[in-house]
Amino acid sequence: MRKEETVKLISAEGFEFVIHKDAAMVSQTIRNMLTSPGSFAETEHGEVTFPEISTTILEKICKYFYWNLQYASGKQTEFHIEPELVLELMMAANYLHT
Amino acid sequence: MSNQKKRNFQIEAFKHRVVVDPKYADKTWKVLEHAIHEIYNHNASGLSFEELYRNAYNMVLHKFGEKLYSGLVTTMTSHLKEISKSIEAAQGGMFLEEMNRKWTDHNKALQMIRDILMYMDRTYIPSTQKTPVHELGLNLWRDNIIRSSKIQTRLLNTLLELVLRERTGEVINRGLMRNIIKMLMDLGPSVYQEDFENPFLEVSAEFYRGESQKFIECCDCGDYLKKAERRLNEELDRVTHYLDARSEAKITNVVEKEMIANHMLRLVHMDNSGLVNMLLDDKYEDLGRMYNLFRRVSNGLSTIREVMTSHLRETGKQLVTDPERLKDPVEFVQRLLDEKDKYDSIIRLSFSNDKTFLNALNSSFEFFINLNNRSPEFISLFVDDKLRKGLKGVSEEDVEIILDKVMMLFRYLQEKDVFEKYYKQHLAKRLLSGKTVSDDAERSLIVKLKTECGYQFTSKLEGMFTDMKTSQDTMQGFYASHPELGDGPTLTVQVLTTGSWPTQPSVTCNLPSEMSALCEKFRSYYLGTHTGRRLSWQTNMGTADIKASFGKGQKHELNVSTYQMCVLMLFNNAERLSYKEIEQATEIPTVDLKRCLQSMACVKGKNVLRKEPMSKDIGEDDAFFVNDKFTSKLYKVKIGTVVAQKESEPEKQETRQRVEEDRKPQIEAAIVRIMKSRRALDHNNIISEVTKQLQSRFLANPTEIKKRIESLIERDFLERDSIDRKLYRYLA
Repeated sequence: MRKEETVKLISAEGFEFVIHKDAAMVSQTIRNMLTSPGSFAETEHGEVTFPEISTTILEKICKYFYWNLQYASGKQTEFHIEPELVLELMMAANYLHT
Repeated sequence: MSNQKKRNFQIEAFKHRVVVDPKYADKTWKVLEHAIHEIYNHNASGLSFEELYRNAYNMVLHKFGEKLYSGLVTTMTSHLKEISKSIEAAQGGMFLEEMNRKWTDHNKALQMIRDILMYMDRTYIPSTQKTPVHELGLNLWRDNIIRSSKIQTRLLNTLLELVLRERTGEVINRGLMRNIIKMLMDLGPSVYQEDFENPFLEVSAEFYRGESQKFIECCDCGDYLKKAERRLNEELDRVTHYLDARSEAKITNVVEKEMIANHMLRLVHMDNSGLVNMLLDDKYEDLGRMYNLFRRVSNGLSTIREVMTSHLRETGKQLVTDPERLKDPVEFVQRLLDEKDKYDSIIRLSFSNDKTFLNALNSSFEFFINLNNRSPEFISLFVDDKLRKGLKGVSEEDVEIILDKVMMLFRYLQEKDVFEKYYKQHLAKRLLSGKTVSDDAERSLIVKLKTECGYQFTSKLEGMFTDMKTSQDTMQGFYASHPELGDGPTLTVQVLTTGSWPTQPSVTCNLPSEMSALCEKFRSYYLGTHTGRRLSWQTNMGTADIKASFGKGQKHELNVSTYQMCVLMLFNNAERLSYKEIEQATEIPTVDLKRCLQSMACVKGKNVLRKEPMSKDIGEDDAFFVNDKFTSKLYKVKIGTVVAQKESEPEKQETRQRVEEDRKPQIEAAIVRIMKSRRALDHNNIISEVTKQLQSRFLANPTEIKKRIESLIERDFLERDSIDRKLYRYLA
């Protein structure tokens, strides 16, 4: 994985997830962050901090990004969500426009 | 139940746990406002997208959407007002540059703002039916910059002035133009149209109105068209370089209207350089240009076509009615062909083979060729001339080309049966005198006539060829059965089927005894092999080769007609013969005898006879001698009869009468055919149907058709309806 192709997502607790840009751009919000014409801090450093998203949720979200890419390319499997995460996950989804 | 169904299932936004700080909204907005300022000042690099997005997100979530939106409007407006001032301040040429630069900045900033406020775009704006951020930015730009009182007219004037400068030949910054125009288009089609396109079109119309007026006063038609074409191309070029593609039709319309449509008639009829002159001088390029330009405006092509047609008809009419030209039929037809070639190439090269023009050309030719009722005769004479001598040394393809052209003229003829009559006569003469150059050419023409007019038209012509062929066989058979004839004079007989050949009043003459004996032998041979036939001699069509020796002992072979042979043979037994004596001995009809004596006694270089008194014409009291002083460089001397190439007036009348006679049964047959299938038909319909049926052969005269109908009624083929006198019924 080359550095230009990746993006670092940082959770509220400071955990860092390094994932492919392609995967991260499943989220419209992240896509806008990375492609906006002005040079925002995120574009320059290749990392995004989410102070309102916990590590557990961000991990789930990253899994979802990759699952979504797979699903779009035809591999249709189930995405399992633990019931206790549902509420927070939905809030994050609304925020990330996923 | 139904009530519940209608309600969309919705999850309310999660109520945030954070107790809302009353100052929260103001604080958050300050952050965002600051960010917007930074963005406009090109300082965005330090900002965190996530933070700004989260702030906007939270504001919307906490029902401060209205505050966020109106704050955005105020902030952006104040920025645009500043921009507006700096654009206003820009001087002269910098004006557009500055506007373009600011526009690019604004666009970029707008995009960034839209991105960070995306959550508002997504949720707040649709639910409150406000203008989305991007569109809002464009609208604010439009209202604060483009339509601000100090900029609007200045912008328009600057743009129009640049276009004008380009029109007068200056080079302008097209890239900048394109950007500004693109900006107007981005602001919406109505902005482009109202703030630029409409005034642009008006100014252009004004410009071209003036220019065309100036040009038309001082240029000739060709130059004018060149200028118009260049202007048109310039406008097209302009459109592709920096205008909206949709303006193309509009601006070309303006040029077309001002430069072409308004001056069309004047251009076409311009003295010394108008359409007629172009046609006369074969100015293919100018004509092509005129065609392409006039095609763009309504009635343009029809104007060209009308002028061309009337010019063609006029010149054609002069051509076919000018008595000078009618003297030489071959040249007459050649001129027609040349004229046709000329216009064909004009239409091909300049009018892109336009069908309507070809039709106009054809109808004009049809019109004037039929103005002269001798056209069929002349065309046949032309063919005769070509097939007699004209085709020597010409390749087969060229022969085909010439024949095709003749066929084309033939197609224009209304009286095709008259042509047939003449063609038959001329063909008979060619065949019998053995003068036809190429059998193939003859046959190919007949095939063409056949495809054009059907089997019926050519069956007799083909019969003539068959007769020629069988005659050859008959002659071979004759000499094979009479081997003793090898030494004496040779006889070649062509047995012609009556009906296939043009009927000639059968006038016999007294053949010399040597010949008549031979003829008798042939008669008994022929009737011996073919019973039940009748042979009659057509001495007026034959030729003979005779050997003669003159005073100083020089010998010549003379190629003469049968009549001439008869006269010359008389001089074997006499020194001097008077006209009366010759007439008595030969019994040749007066006209033919005079003609044949004239050709032997009065033509220089061919005068094998001497005449007393010496004069140009043959008198009844003249006396003739063998011209002992006759000399010629050639051994073989061909003595042609003085033939009138063209028919004389009485002959013409006679042919015409025969044609009229032949038409009668054809008209009757057509009437009967039509009535047989229709049973009952009124007068006008019969006339039109008959005319249609006979069109391929001739143009039937309505009064003649009427006469034929009456004749058929008399003979009980038809009857008049007892109530409606205009209705005819067929009687089986």
